[in-house]
Amino acid sequence: MRIGLIAEGGYPYVSGDARLWCDRLVRGLGQHEFDIYALSRSERQEDEGWVPLPPQVSRVRTASLWTAEDDGVVYGRRARRRFEEHYGALAAVLCVGGDRGADGATEPPSTLQADRFGNALYGLAELARDEGGLAGALRSETAVRTLERACRARDAMRTAREARVPDLLAVAAHLERALRPLSLDWYEDDGLGAADLSHATSGGTAALTGLLARHFCDVPLLLTEYGVRLRTQYLAGTGAPPAVRALLAGFHGALAAEAYDRAAVITPGNAHARRWQERCGADRSRLRTVYPGMDASRFAEVGEASSCADPDTLVWVGRVEPAKDLVSLLHAFAEVRKEEPKTRLRIVGAPAGPEGEAYLGHCRALAAQLFPDEADGPHTVGENPVSFEEIGGPQLPSLADAYASGAVTVLSSVVEGFPVGLVEAMLCGRATVSTDVGAVVEVIGGTGLVVPPRNPRALAEACVTLLRDPERRERLGAAARARALELFTVEQNVAAFHGIYLDVVAGTPVRRVVLDDAGAPLPFGVPAEAHVPGHWTSNRPQGGPEPTAPAQAPGLPTPEGAR
Amino acid sequence: MTAAGGTDHPMTAPGGPEVWDERAEEWLTAGAEGPEDQAALADPLDRPRPPRAGADPVKALMHRHHDLCARAVDPLEIAAGLEAHGITDRTAARFRHRDVFSLAEEMYARVPRDGDAPDDPAPVAPPRVRADWVLLTLLPGALGTATLAAVRLTHGQTRLIAAAVGALAVLLALRAALSRGPLSTAHTTRPTATWTGWLLGYALLGDGLLRAALTGGPDTLPGGGAEGSWPLTTAPLLALALSCAPAAWCAHLLAVRARRTLSSSRALADFATSVQPLLLAAFAAYVGALAALTAATAAALDEPAAYPATLTLGALLFLARLLTVHGFTHAPALVLTATAAAEATALASVFGARLPGCAWLAAPTRALADAWGPAAVPVLACGAAALALLLHASRTLTRASAHAAGEDRW
Repeated sequence: MRIGLIAEGGYPYVSGDARLWCDRLVRGLGQHEFDIYALSRSERQEDEGWVPLPPQVSRVRTASLWTAEDDGVVYGRRARRRFEEHYGALAAVLCVGGDRGADGATEPPSTLQADRFGNALYGLAELARDEGGLAGALRSETAVRTLERACRARDAMRTAREARVPDLLAVAAHLERALRPLSLDWYEDDGLGAADLSHATSGGTAALTGLLARHFCDVPLLLTEYGVRLRTQYLAGTGAPPAVRALLAGFHGALAAEAYDRAAVITPGNAHARRWQERCGADRSRLRTVYPGMDASRFAEVGEASSCADPDTLVWVGRVEPAKDLVSLLHAFAEVRKEEPKTRLRIVGAPAGPEGEAYLGHCRALAAQLFPDEADGPHTVGENPVSFEEIGGPQLPSLADAYASGAVTVLSSVVEGFPVGLVEAMLCGRATVSTDVGAVVEVIGGTGLVVPPRNPRALAEACVTLLRDPERRERLGAAARARALELFTVEQNVAAFHGIYLDVVAGTPVRRVVLDDAGAPLPFGVPAEAHVPGHWTSNRPQGGPEPTAPAQAPGLPTPEGAR
Repeated sequence: MTAAGGTDHPMTAPGGPEVWDERAEEWLTAGAEGPEDQAALADPLDRPRPPRAGADPVKALMHRHHDLCARAVDPLEIAAGLEAHGITDRTAARFRHRDVFSLAEEMYARVPRDGDAPDDPAPVAPPRVRADWVLLTLLPGALGTATLAAVRLTHGQTRLIAAAVGALAVLLALRAALSRGPLSTAHTTRPTATWTGWLLGYALLGDGLLRAALTGGPDTLPGGGAEGSWPLTTAPLLALALSCAPAAWCAHLLAVRARRTLSSSRALADFATSVQPLLLAAFAAYVGALAALTAATAAALDEPAAYPATLTLGALLFLARLLTVHGFTHAPALVLTATAAAEATALASVFGARLPGCAWLAAPTRALADAWGPAAVPVLACGAAALALLLHASRTLTRASAHAAGEDRW
């Protein structure tokens, strides 16, 4: 199969977001061919280069989201009217939003609105394909004026009606950036049109690219979202004026709804993303949660070894930042020490950014205040029962050693997405105590203790329970490791996507009608082997007939005629 | 306290928030606001138990997340914000809601929304005056003055060298002055720069050459002051070089005022009507400054003050640069090319008339020069071009989009 993998600011750039995951996916599915369509986010990202690519990547096409190429096309009257019509329709959808009246009830965006948005989007894309010059038009005064007209319309929502000129300019600039995929030349038969399946690795821009491929070339779209783009938009835009936020939220909401509506399969990375997607209109029957995979081999040794950990040590591993609520952990540890005076706490992790540095300093000071240094006897040097360490030192050469050094792993965050540290602890076969935030409950299942966040006393009690009960610790640890190996390994991630790929392609009718010399349709022109995974013409035993068209993708006849 | 104790049933059943005891409510109603609220986090154990929230726990929650609720544009924004503060579906169950979304919807619906307009938005930060561009725009004028002084004070070969070095230095200084500050641009300026060079060259040599050509010359190389057959007119060029500084200031003031108008405008039409006088004022200020400089240089160099030629050329170049800076590169390139072509045609026609049978070629130029002197050619060409660009600018530079992309380039 030929898969068009669409990544925004990610794979194959060295500093990409989901680079590791995509890399494992591509390497794990060597039987398929991958075309990578990468959108780069910044000049720095482009300069840093690519990760080494495996041979199954047959080509990489890139486009930048940070430069605005103007192809110098100035629209004539007819093209300008076409642009105004479609852009106006798009703007109207944003301004109406999921309009909530005075009663404040949200209605899901009506089908009519969704249709208008889709039509406007594809209308603009077709304009870009026919005439070019869309980037310039989106920046022009025509665009701003159209936007203003839509905002002043009678059915526009209140926040949109209050938009001022700077707001309009900001929205127009954002839309211009967000709609850059419309000007790309990827949606041809030699681009995404040649793929059997396009796999967008995130929502937003990447999903838009996949939508266009679906529109122009009928390529089925698989949408993977580990973080919901719409939610990111809400959290990122807090500083902007209300009108800008409302219009952009309207755009990203409508785009997400359109993507969820058109995608063949949507794979959220966890139940949290899934809930958001359902909320934005994703059809439940097309949602399949695929958990991110983690490399289990690093933790195999620790996980399989019989427990040799210090039975009196608690371990916390992670990036030090305020959201991790280490203060709460330290207070909980003070409670633990009242019950179990011999207990020690190892906090392992590097601070994240300047804010993290400050927070780490704060925590160190608090630990020194709460716990005086202790020594075994009158003639030895004392040390603090709380130690702050980093991975890579002589005591903790690797991450697995950090988890191995403690009997119980603690997670005290108040905010958490997908708790990677928790999965690592599970892979190490450690009993865990975590706070009920983000996807923690979903990840841990029944294999660890969960307490409410910001409740040091509950955290302390759970820790003491586990510290006093080695058998239960072992039982929970073994169960946790089994659960993690079942759900969160790279293998399951790759296998799940492999299955979904086959599923999607199997459910997609043959798109290319092959014509014979006289121009009549050729029945059975595309053989079933076209969709057999892997290079079915190569790797055959010696003596077999030579493959006929080695340069071509296997089983992909040159498309001719109408699709 | 019964936290997770005694049994292997951790409180993890996703659908079972009822497993939680009163502790859950306790931390919900406690004073801690968010992860950033370290003061509240620092001492969570000794906190006195707050009194139970009244009959309306959502009200307390709304009070705690007041800012979030007040600025939210839809319920999903509240939901995202609540989740970022660690509220999950299980927490929402304490408020008798199925999930965070429905809790957020209630909060959104209950936010008092009086109909008054929102506060005035923070004004867009205007571009600042920076020492580097202020000094750099003075450089071409200073170097031009020095060059002219050197040319006047030296003779023979030294004079040639001084003129060549000085011209190069002024060119480089001009480039530097245009690379920073309000006159800098990220757009390509290749055709514009070439034709600007030609127009300046014509201002230096053109009048003398045309006069000499009309009288059968030129017999000598240019230079040799005003008394030669092909004199150089240096005063306009010096005035133009000196006018870099006022040009930059005018462009800067226009940008600042336009930015201010932008942030206070409600409609695009309002913006256009209030920017138009600003644009005309900036243009007039530049022309006025140039006129003063022309008078000063003419007096200093003891040359007749060529107001029309200098002012029309200066106005043309200023408008062309202003348009280029704001992203309209097409019109300036076109107009400058046309102007240069017109001047070149006038010169070529005079020389072409010397071919046998082509004397009629020079008739229009000759008539023009006889009526108003040879300076009439550049005055007419530049004046018409400047007028065209002024009309164009009054339409394009009053657009809001022209003033949008000016993120602090300088």
